[in-house]
Amino acid sequence: MTTTTDHGLAGHSPRLSEGLPETSPNPRRFSWNFAVRIILLLIAAALTLGPVLWTLSTSLRSPSESFKLPPSFFPWNPDFTSYGEVFQQLNIFLLVLNSALVTGLIAVGQMVSAAMAGYAFAHLKFRGRGVLFSIVLATMMVPVQVTIVPVFMLIRGMGLSDTLLALILPAIPTAFGTFLMRQYFMGLPAELAEAASIDGASPWRTFRSVYAPLAMPGMAIVGILAFNFHWNEFFRPLILTISEQNFTLPLGLVSLQGNLGTGSISVVLAGVVLSMIPALVVFMFGQRALQDGLTAGTGK
Amino acid sequence: MSTTTPPRERPRQAAGSATHAKAPVPNARHSQRWLTWIFLAPTILGMGLFTLIPIVASVVLAFFRWDIISAPTFVGFDNFSEVVQDPTVRVSFLNTILFVVVAVALQLGLALALAIMVQEKMPAWLRVFFRSAFFFPLILSAASVSIFMRYLFNEQFGVVNWFLSLVGIPAVPWLTTPGGSAAVVILVYVWQNFGFSFLLFIGGLASIPVETYEAASIDGATGWRKHLHVTLPLLSPTTLVASVMAIISALQVFDQPYVLTRGGPGDSTRTAVMVIFESAFQRLEFGQASAIGVLLTLIIMAITAAQFRLSKRFVFYQ
Amino acid sequence: MTGATNGHLREITRRTALGALGAGIIGATVASWPRLSGTDIPGRGDNSLSIAIMGTAADAAARQRAIDAFTRLHPGIKVKVQAIQAVDWKDFFTKILTMVAAGTPPDVVYVATEGAQLFAEKLAHPLDEYVRRDAADMTEFFDDVHPSLVEAFMYKGSLYQLPMDWNAANMYYNTTAFAQAGLERPADDWTHVDFRNSLAAMRKARTSDFTPYYWTNRLFGGVVPWLYANDTSFLKETRSTGGEWLWDGFYANDPSRSLRSGGYQWLEPNANDDRVFESFDYLRGLVKDGLGVRPEEGGGSSLVGLFASNRIGTTPAGGYWVQGLHEAGMGESDFDVQFFPRWKTQRHQFGTAGYAIMKTAKDKDAAWEWIKFSSSREAMELIFPNPITTPARRSMVNEQLYAGKGPVHWKVFYDTLDRFPTTGPIPAPPQQAAVETALMKNVSLAVSGDERQLKQALASMQRDLELALRRQS
Repeated sequence: MTTTTDHGLAGHSPRLSEGLPETSPNPRRFSWNFAVRIILLLIAAALTLGPVLWTLSTSLRSPSESFKLPPSFFPWNPDFTSYGEVFQQLNIFLLVLNSALVTGLIAVGQMVSAAMAGYAFAHLKFRGRGVLFSIVLATMMVPVQVTIVPVFMLIRGMGLSDTLLALILPAIPTAFGTFLMRQYFMGLPAELAEAASIDGASPWRTFRSVYAPLAMPGMAIVGILAFNFHWNEFFRPLILTISEQNFTLPLGLVSLQGNLGTGSISVVLAGVVLSMIPALVVFMFGQRALQDGLTAGTGK
Repeated sequence: MSTTTPPRERPRQAAGSATHAKAPVPNARHSQRWLTWIFLAPTILGMGLFTLIPIVASVVLAFFRWDIISAPTFVGFDNFSEVVQDPTVRVSFLNTILFVVVAVALQLGLALALAIMVQEKMPAWLRVFFRSAFFFPLILSAASVSIFMRYLFNEQFGVVNWFLSLVGIPAVPWLTTPGGSAAVVILVYVWQNFGFSFLLFIGGLASIPVETYEAASIDGATGWRKHLHVTLPLLSPTTLVASVMAIISALQVFDQPYVLTRGGPGDSTRTAVMVIFESAFQRLEFGQASAIGVLLTLIIMAITAAQFRLSKRFVFYQ
Repeated sequence: MTGATNGHLREITRRTALGALGAGIIGATVASWPRLSGTDIPGRGDNSLSIAIMGTAADAAARQRAIDAFTRLHPGIKVKVQAIQAVDWKDFFTKILTMVAAGTPPDVVYVATEGAQLFAEKLAHPLDEYVRRDAADMTEFFDDVHPSLVEAFMYKGSLYQLPMDWNAANMYYNTTAFAQAGLERPADDWTHVDFRNSLAAMRKARTSDFTPYYWTNRLFGGVVPWLYANDTSFLKETRSTGGEWLWDGFYANDPSRSLRSGGYQWLEPNANDDRVFESFDYLRGLVKDGLGVRPEEGGGSSLVGLFASNRIGTTPAGGYWVQGLHEAGMGESDFDVQFFPRWKTQRHQFGTAGYAIMKTAKDKDAAWEWIKFSSSREAMELIFPNPITTPARRSMVNEQLYAGKGPVHWKVFYDTLDRFPTTGPIPAPPQQAAVETALMKNVSLAVSGDERQLKQALASMQRDLELALRRQS
């Protein structure tokens, strides 16, 4: 029984690193096919990482050298003055704290609410299940710009104008997360529930003790995606927060650009680099879970 | 999960532990019904409050003229007729549709090609490197990506034009001509988002049974023919999910054109959601903004419905 | 794979970890509740005078000494400065409007020319009664401030703001680039033809990696200075009557008294004017011949870096630019400034800013005290210690402000107003957001194609402006 926990969904999704089977008869022999493929992939990788490297190296140069051509992608002689300037212009710690609070609570809220709703849609039978699920999915199609004005008024009515809660509460119900969790729970055999109910377990206990632990990887994905999306979110904070004490990172960064061209490119890019760090950390820890789990949730 | 505080129990065998349940529930059916609604409550109530009610409010607001400072006045269908006649609104809707077609096609095509190439035989560390590289842009914020891309695409001093000049291409006025800025917005958007589709395709590929390929290669299918006849059909469910997600997100593109071009030059990169933002928060025409929003939502729903209808014909389920 | 015992242990530690995590999350949420609900923001919800400025926390902190001085003078008034970060003024006004919509408007807002009429029309309370009441104190202020700046804040005969700082679009040039091209410092009355010749000389001297004329597409310093120099504008400029109370009261002896009015009015579009075409055609020629760049919309954060690294010959900017160039490492004689070139006139474009009292302000008298205090020389010296902008007081634009930073001809900044008294503000009617968009979105197209494209762009600008001016706000 317990070993299923370790497998997670591995049962119906083979380990990704196995890759596709090679059809060439002798893999030892040098193959043009292989060489071309690797070269193409390397070009693609250079195009995705190049701009980021340029950003990093430019943030580590003095403003007067910021437009150096030919471009340099590696910071050989790092100059950290731009970073000092960022700390002087922005209260980076507060921005990070706000972003962390907002994204952290949204992520946790989404994980819990999506797991519960996803489970209900997957394994509990009730009238109107299909219709309700369609409605949940349909909300994904409504752009946030369409509902922002009424949401804004609602927030005002709740007395939450210009607070972090105004960013958190509306973001907790998640259509995509619910969809992912439903797929995930559907991938878990229904026999588990039957066995549990024969043993007399209540539906609640079935969920808590049988399904939820198995769904941890799925919840992790919901959490990571929520973190990634809301950490970088720009539009809602732009509208819903006013005081800079309530700003999140992306808003702070854009304002670094300065009015009337008085900002410095190196400082702006230093801010960009600083804002990448926390997302990078989450990415490094969560990448594996994300890759495995997303595939399981939607690949079938 | 984390909010519950269950009584301690032996966790080893989940199903078995039920026999030790302290209070067996007498009426399981009844308890399941209210439990169902408790499970659904956070999501359904939250969505009702923060999505469905606002949608209804938005539809109502579309029939009013309101600038927040003074009281709203009812104007019937005026907002809709003004919006439909406004050339900027029309252009922005066309832009959005063109953007979605081009960006989504590029995004899916690129993601699929790279996913197939990455999944074929290569050293494991290299595969990890490629996967991470392609996924990396996804963790950045669209706002900050657009900030540095603006510098890279600068006509005189940008790195992109410098590289082009190496192969003899004269400086391209990326951000200052309609075609150039549309291209930049699309490229920057695809650059950042193809990684998500890529991940989905990797998962789809991994779930194709190995035997299918073995059978195909016995039949003599190799290289791209193999992918055409085996991979693509088997991948079609993933493709459906990936394309629905890609289209929904592309229809709502805001951050990139807002930071890169502010919608210009002319209206060449103005998208539908930008027009909503401008009319609501820069000009305080909340009624008109709502009218545009209602129209946009209807279009999105029509497109998605069409997509699912089409998918019934083209998606191959195992 | 995993033995049963091993799995058992793992399950237990996992549960413990999860429980701890859950408790941790709840604890963290409770602990950070003041942050989440914003109740930890000092002065929130109390009755202190709230003042909104555009800028960062650092800008708010820079005002702390001024606040302290104010509090010593008026111990009864509690002041709270709220810095609001924004990319440009349009963005800042959006934020203020959002605050109004949220039911938490500030009492006093620092508003630039771009929004002066929007605020005057909808949100601000006129200062007339206060200026009249405290005429004795105000005389000293108006004596030190050029009337052009004050007139920019007149709207339909009433005064809504006192100018605190301002900037005209002068022409900055890189002295190295000029020397390399064998150019001397241009004459005060250089013309648009001279200007073009200078650009051509620089182009000849440096063929690559260099732009003789760099400009961005925005309301200040974009096409408008070229329109003003050619004695036209993209909107028909008229003046309203009234305002005599101010001009006769404080500027009776000013040489430009006869020019003053009850404020500017921009009611009609003017993009189909022949001289507008002429100015755009001139810029189109610069772009076509590689003398000037096609302007990018908004932004402009690359400007300092490009200018400081000697890649730009000339660019229009005002006194606000000195500190930025200094910080980017430019020496005081590496750059200099001259008047904008002459065409039919040498009328310049300027923008200015000052505090406005909101109609909704609870204590308007206290708000006025803040405005009056801020306009004093003492306060302005505390607020503008560096050339990050040009102070509205003539006496403060002095040797000391620019010492060690340049430019050599810093006198150009204030001389602009004295030498060219018709110099006018950024055209910004109450519908400024829509008007700005209508202008900006057509500029790039107008200057980067052939003549036919230019005519099309101006026609569409005319139509867009008509639509914009018809709007209510």
